[in-house]
Amino acid sequence: MTTKPCEAVYDAWLASAGMPPDLVRRLLDVYKTPEAAFRAFQQGEEPFRIAVSPRYASALRVSGAGRWMESTQALIEKHRIFVIRYGDPEYPVSLKYIDQAPAILFFQGNLSCLSGRMLGMVGSRAASYTGQKAARKLAHDLSSLGVSIVSGLACGIDAASHQGCIEGGSPTAAVTACGLDTVYPRDNIRLRNEILEKNGVILTEYAPGEKPAGWHFPFRNRIIAGLGQALVLVEARIRSGSMTSVQHALDQGKDVFVWPGDPESEHFEGNHQLLREGGIYFTSADDILADLHWLDNQTEVRQNSDCCTEIKADTPEQAAVIRSLSPGSLGFEQLLEKTQLDPPALMSTLTILQISGIVESLPGKQYRLKH
Amino acid sequence: MAEILAKVLTFGVAGVNGFPVHVEVFATGGLPMMEIIGLPDTSVRESKNRVTAAIANSGRGGSTARITVNLAPADIKKEGPSFDLPIALGVMIATDMLHPAPGVDSDQIAFFGELSLDGSIQPVNGALPMVISAKENGIRTVILPDRNAREVSCIQGMHILPVSNLSEVICWLEKQTGITEQEQTAFDTLLNDAVTGTDMCQIRGQKGARRAIEVAAAGGHNMLMIGVPGSGKTMLARCIPGILPPMSFEESLETTRIHSISGKLPPGSGLMVTRPFCAPHHNASVASLIGGGQDARPGEVSLAHNGVLFLDELPEFSRSALEALRQPLEDGMVSVARVKKQARYQSSFMLVAAMNPCPCGFYGSNRRACRCTPPEIRKYLDRISGPLLDRIDLQIEVDSVPLQEISSSEPSENSASVAARVSKARSIQLERYRGTGKHCNAQLDNADVKRYCTPDEEAVRLLNTALDSLHLSMRAYQRILKVSRTIADLEGSDRILSAHIAEAVQYRELDQKYWR
Repeated sequence: MTTKPCEAVYDAWLASAGMPPDLVRRLLDVYKTPEAAFRAFQQGEEPFRIAVSPRYASALRVSGAGRWMESTQALIEKHRIFVIRYGDPEYPVSLKYIDQAPAILFFQGNLSCLSGRMLGMVGSRAASYTGQKAARKLAHDLSSLGVSIVSGLACGIDAASHQGCIEGGSPTAAVTACGLDTVYPRDNIRLRNEILEKNGVILTEYAPGEKPAGWHFPFRNRIIAGLGQALVLVEARIRSGSMTSVQHALDQGKDVFVWPGDPESEHFEGNHQLLREGGIYFTSADDILADLHWLDNQTEVRQNSDCCTEIKADTPEQAAVIRSLSPGSLGFEQLLEKTQLDPPALMSTLTILQISGIVESLPGKQYRLKH
Repeated sequence: MAEILAKVLTFGVAGVNGFPVHVEVFATGGLPMMEIIGLPDTSVRESKNRVTAAIANSGRGGSTARITVNLAPADIKKEGPSFDLPIALGVMIATDMLHPAPGVDSDQIAFFGELSLDGSIQPVNGALPMVISAKENGIRTVILPDRNAREVSCIQGMHILPVSNLSEVICWLEKQTGITEQEQTAFDTLLNDAVTGTDMCQIRGQKGARRAIEVAAAGGHNMLMIGVPGSGKTMLARCIPGILPPMSFEESLETTRIHSISGKLPPGSGLMVTRPFCAPHHNASVASLIGGGQDARPGEVSLAHNGVLFLDELPEFSRSALEALRQPLEDGMVSVARVKKQARYQSSFMLVAAMNPCPCGFYGSNRRACRCTPPEIRKYLDRISGPLLDRIDLQIEVDSVPLQEISSSEPSENSASVAARVSKARSIQLERYRGTGKHCNAQLDNADVKRYCTPDEEAVRLLNTALDSLHLSMRAYQRILKVSRTIADLEGSDRILSAHIAEAVQYRELDQKYWR
């Protein structure tokens, strides 16, 4: 953390070759600092010749050229990127004992937020509306109870989780799969700035200048799983990146909480498979906290304020709609059938309920109660 | 041989209007030949070969004169084979092969028809505008191909004499035999033949969408449907012509004229009494939609005049094609200008468009996951420009119907009973806009909306709250008022109540959900 920018460039050099973290760690054990390693490499010292395969060596030689060092130096300064190494006292404890713990981490923002209570939240990028809503609400609730959220700064569930966490007041951590100078996906640039403004941290094991590549993502997921004390899966299909995060969490011996999504929807097929295989079922932030024994006084207080929002209906039609919607979202046609209203009457009623903020309409002509 | 001049009257077509053409034939001695002048196009110029053969096959021998045929006025382009018959008659008169009986005044009779080499007469395009023009020019008798007769049988006060070959015409002119006159058909009896297309009773479920197309039809509003593939958007659209009010005589004439000149009328058919339903494929060019080609032909928007233009997969249409729709949508008219020809065609249609919510089609579906990324979805939706969306009053989502609903045997309401309600609402509108040149709510502009669509106090309050809490734009405001006028008309209510406004708000929902 104390690394000066002029030193960080050697960390970037060491990280740039894509060597396995364990190898980097061993090299650092020998040379103590990346700068020393750099000098040793230039002089062709023995440990490098023996331990580092020719493939990595040539990559290191390419990055070691003057021009690369200069431009990387510039990136580090421009984006105010800091570095933390495995042996440093500030290195997140939660990462220390995971398999393939990253040897070098680059970060922007406030690293100390990693030391509090933290949960990983993962899910699909092309997420359903319900999934995103659930992620945002869950992150918000957890965050307002002092639990930070770590996620991957992608679209969909990731973005919703970060957003919810920010809104709940706790700092959030994002682990990216590319150098910190790149914003990927571009749509998240505002979210990214907001994370930093709200005392959060963005970190990665990839050197500045590194572009996102397909294989970075599943590998990066072990850090997300590692940083959280448990992992929350919001929405995943069976073959998806989120399922690799779950695998990492299980390998690391962590609990995996699985949100029970709509059983009929393809979006949640991964969730249901996991639930059958023993994933932990939950429906609210409180469930998670209770299972993790994190419930304390402040939590109890909040509990009742949420459940007693009795919804007022002005007319029998409104009452019928609210009654039909209370188990969950429904399509227009199903609502017609349940309420036995005719289409014009149902449409008018829905408009009134939407205006008064009781019901919201989702894409796909679905309606649900807004909590 | 004496130099003889013969004159025969016929009609040509320019745009959707007919104009009189005098076929003048001048026969003189010299090497046998025939020349046609007066701006003929290729099909007219080729007519001399057809004419020569047809005359030879009519049993009167051939001509050996030097013949010049002039189509007067000489400064308007003449197109199509409909001049064959008058040219043949002119040639026969000029070469003494045919002597019209005394009392047959060939100046007061119009002839048109295409000849076959064997002398039989083939149907032509544009019979209706030609006969209308004949009537306007004071002509009372028209001789035309028998397969065009039904098309024009509705025009009152005309003697329509259908013929099937050249000898029939010759004999009639010489008063040897008569021709059975085409019976006049009353327009109302034709209406019974109207084909309604898909009947609404075939649609299972979809009560929300059914209501929406009823409202759209009742006010003549343009409509956009968004829904996952297979949700029945196309089927819903096909029902619309069947629930629109029956065509009036004028409407039918206008539409038939356009179809007549573009050769889209099936042979032997009468006036069009079924509202057209045009569904061009999404690779349609601008010219095919709007009209064009060398001779500035009418495009799909004009063929859909007084009917429905259905654009499936709206975002797949080229940007320029979609933007070109703006003029006809606004004016109900389209001007097609080409170097050699300009034409204005009527094109007042109801636009019904359908699209998927995203490239893969499953965004928002709770049954199948969507594979598209948010930028992809945005790009897809952005292919529809704001100004075009602006002209679409009703925008609805169509959800797919669950299987058990499709297989349920409970019958839905049929088109006839929906059409009855629509007709009633339309007649209220006709009454209200009498003398303003408008005939349905969709045609109201902003000033009219202020004048005719004033909701009562409570409804205004509701609308204002809705604008606020649902973040609706000012343009949505106008559209909601127009649509609520239609909903009130459907209910037979003079005033616009809050229930009407509340329903109309539902037809603007896509604004907030998709085009934010």
